[in-house]
Amino acid sequence: MVQYNFKKITVVPNGKDFVDIILSRTQRQTPTVVHKGYAISRLRQFYMRKVKYTQQNFHDKLSTIIDEFPRLDDIHPFYGDLLHVLYNKDHYKLALGQINTARNLIGKIAKDYVKLLKYGDSLYRCKSLKVAALGRMCTVMKRIGPSLAYLEQIRQHMARLPSIDPNTRTVLICGYPNVGKSSFINKITRADVDVQPYAFTTKSLFVGHTDYKYLRYQVIDTPGILDRPFEDRNIIEMCSITALAHLRAAVLFFLDVSGSCGYSIAQQAALFHSIKSLFMNKPLTIVCNKTDLQPLEGISEEDMKLVMEMKSEAMKTLVAQGGEATSDADVLLTMSTLTEEGVIAVKNAACERLLNQRVEMKMKSKKINDCLNRFHVAMPKPRDQKERPPCIPQAVLEAKATEAAEKEKRKTEKDLEDENGGAGVYSASLKKNYILANDEWKEDVLPEILDGHNVYDFIDPDILQRLEELEQEEGIRQAEGEEEDFEMDGEELTAEEKEALAVIRKKKSLLIQEHRIKKSTAESRPTVPRKFDKDRKFTTKRMGRQLSALGVDPSKAINRLRERSLSRRGRKRERSTDRGHDDGGAMDMDVDQPNKKLRLRSTSRSRSRSRPPNEVVPGEGYKDSVQKSKALKLFKKSAQKRNKDARRGEADRVIPTLKPKHLFSGKRSIGKTDRR
Amino acid sequence: MIAKKNYADKALMKKTLAMHEESTSRRKVDDDVHDGAVPAYLLDRENTTRAKILSNSIKQKRKEKAGKWEVRPVAEDEMFKVIRSGKRKTKQWKRMVTKATFVGPGFTRKPPKYERFIRPSGLRFTKAHVTHPELKCTFNLEIIAVKKNPNGPTYTSLGVITKGTIIEVNVSELGLVTPAGKVVWGKYAQVTNNPENDGCINAVLLV
Repeated sequence: MVQYNFKKITVVPNGKDFVDIILSRTQRQTPTVVHKGYAISRLRQFYMRKVKYTQQNFHDKLSTIIDEFPRLDDIHPFYGDLLHVLYNKDHYKLALGQINTARNLIGKIAKDYVKLLKYGDSLYRCKSLKVAALGRMCTVMKRIGPSLAYLEQIRQHMARLPSIDPNTRTVLICGYPNVGKSSFINKITRADVDVQPYAFTTKSLFVGHTDYKYLRYQVIDTPGILDRPFEDRNIIEMCSITALAHLRAAVLFFLDVSGSCGYSIAQQAALFHSIKSLFMNKPLTIVCNKTDLQPLEGISEEDMKLVMEMKSEAMKTLVAQGGEATSDADVLLTMSTLTEEGVIAVKNAACERLLNQRVEMKMKSKKINDCLNRFHVAMPKPRDQKERPPCIPQAVLEAKATEAAEKEKRKTEKDLEDENGGAGVYSASLKKNYILANDEWKEDVLPEILDGHNVYDFIDPDILQRLEELEQEEGIRQAEGEEEDFEMDGEELTAEEKEALAVIRKKKSLLIQEHRIKKSTAESRPTVPRKFDKDRKFTTKRMGRQLSALGVDPSKAINRLRERSLSRRGRKRERSTDRGHDDGGAMDMDVDQPNKKLRLRSTSRSRSRSRPPNEVVPGEGYKDSVQKSKALKLFKKSAQKRNKDARRGEADRVIPTLKPKHLFSGKRSIGKTDRR
Repeated sequence: MIAKKNYADKALMKKTLAMHEESTSRRKVDDDVHDGAVPAYLLDRENTTRAKILSNSIKQKRKEKAGKWEVRPVAEDEMFKVIRSGKRKTKQWKRMVTKATFVGPGFTRKPPKYERFIRPSGLRFTKAHVTHPELKCTFNLEIIAVKKNPNGPTYTSLGVITKGTIIEVNVSELGLVTPAGKVVWGKYAQVTNNPENDGCINAVLLV
């Protein structure tokens, strides 16, 4: 949505300044030194650069002007019409069109002269071609000088237009001049509109903001409209007509019942009827102002009849909205801005009607379904017909009552302060409500340092409790400590335990040895991921051995693995007789089947039915399965590159050979070898 | 640039001040001279009589009519650039024109192997800015042909346009009519600038 903030348009310089700016920039930003002894291509390039640079700058600056000024067809029709009323759409478009043609012309000039510069054979010729090019561009700018001045004026005026948001809640005030529209808006908003006794004090639209039911409404004050045929209206009146026509707002038609504005009720009624077509679909309220001078009941018969006619018209809009008959009073209201009676009522009435209308529109629109689908009020289904009101114990009710009473009579600190002389005179005693063992200690001063220690380091409200806990812990630990004095003496072990101990120690030393070997050969040994298993370590035989060492029967496990082996599944039916020769280790060494998905599925078949790989496990931190699969993909992708380089991980930056022989020795087939 | 402007303003200011002061100071006043009488300080001298004045103006008129004024002669090496051709780039019989040229609308090049004078398309012009000497306004008119180049007939035949060249332009948009009632659509004009330095042809109409 376009920001209706026309204050951000950059300043449009006038023709002369424009040319000065661009030319001085060309002079500063391009190289300036050239000598006739330079190579001809260098001279040509030098001058071509200047021409091109100037053209580019003109293009940029003119483009910003064209882009920043709003296109009357692209913005909200209210603003389009308002700008048309104020500045005349045709002139505006023409001015912008001229700027556009100037931009194109300058582009053409630059192109032609750059073409000619290619044939320049002396410094003088290139220089005069450049001078001619720049001069022509500046002549083009001189010709659009008046357009630039016009656009600058428009820009200054546009920046001062009130920022009206055409889509939000709006209340529009209209009526004859001098009926009290600006006084009303001054009363309900913080706008400070001029109020004077002469007509047409307000010459343009003014915006103020007011709140109602926690929502912000913008209130628009319009200049007064006279009852004239449409073609005769001047620019000021056209502003208000535009606002009326395009903004979906609650309309307040102001009526001066006292006639002190200089126009009779008959004239005002005539105006009302002539513009009532603009009130279509808008909640209309007729406001009778200046009732302090002349109350509504006291006006004459004919005037009352006219007012009733207007009211009936306004009622029609109410009915059209499907309104209720109870809000009869909302259509015709009286108030006086001088005595401020009825002002708030008018505002509330208008805001309420607008809000209702907007809510209705929203309910009818299609967008509401998106909102409605999102929330759901769940009511528990009644199990039986028994009524179960909320149960409040009697004591709580009584306490609440006393609390309420107490709250009323409780004296606040502020009241105390006011009593004793105000803010500067009375300072409250903050320690008054301390809870201490002895009430006399309340006003005592706390010492900060005692015996060289900070007192605060030793203060703790739970200190006694903590002390108890500590002592308990101490007691437990002492008890445990006695148990642990059990030393590992060799004599106290049984034969079995000795054996087990020996096995454990052997295994440990084996592991340590292996690790040491690994470490020492780490740099010269490529690290291959486990699944490729170069040494053929991961075989079922090994697994069987280990399992039997643990005391578990391995045959079942081995059979299961062999059943699920990938190579078996991947091989064709004819080879099924070879099953016996299958090395059990083919299970995970299957390089012929690089299909990771299959392998994943096979190795985790027992889990596959319960949980597919993309399923989100709560606790893993994924939003949904798409995110999870993406994360898995990213992980695998990054690992791929590392695996190719036989790197162990991200931080592995080992270079296998620091000085490869083929780079440091040997002759070249073509070229020299004086640097390696 | 701003400094220049300030200087110009200052000079103007000084001049106006001097002018204001002038009106208050006294000035030497010449004696009123009767018509035909010779003023005092010209006595005993030969009169630059009207006769001479007349002859000067006649000479000027004649000059204008002839349409010739001083034209700087252009050397051949300035006009043509030597293009080397051949496998070893030793042949030097080709020439490229370095000045503005005009070729007609139906122009097609000779086969590149045989063309001796190359007129690059970047230097070809079709339009000229022609000033009418009496109306003092300039029109952008199409060139019909190159009539005469003062530097030589070769240049005329090539269509080279330099300062002082007479060209024929299409003046139909001016709407000139002969006394007989026929519409004039072609007129001669003489080029007044160096087109290769300015990128455009400025000419004055020869009425």
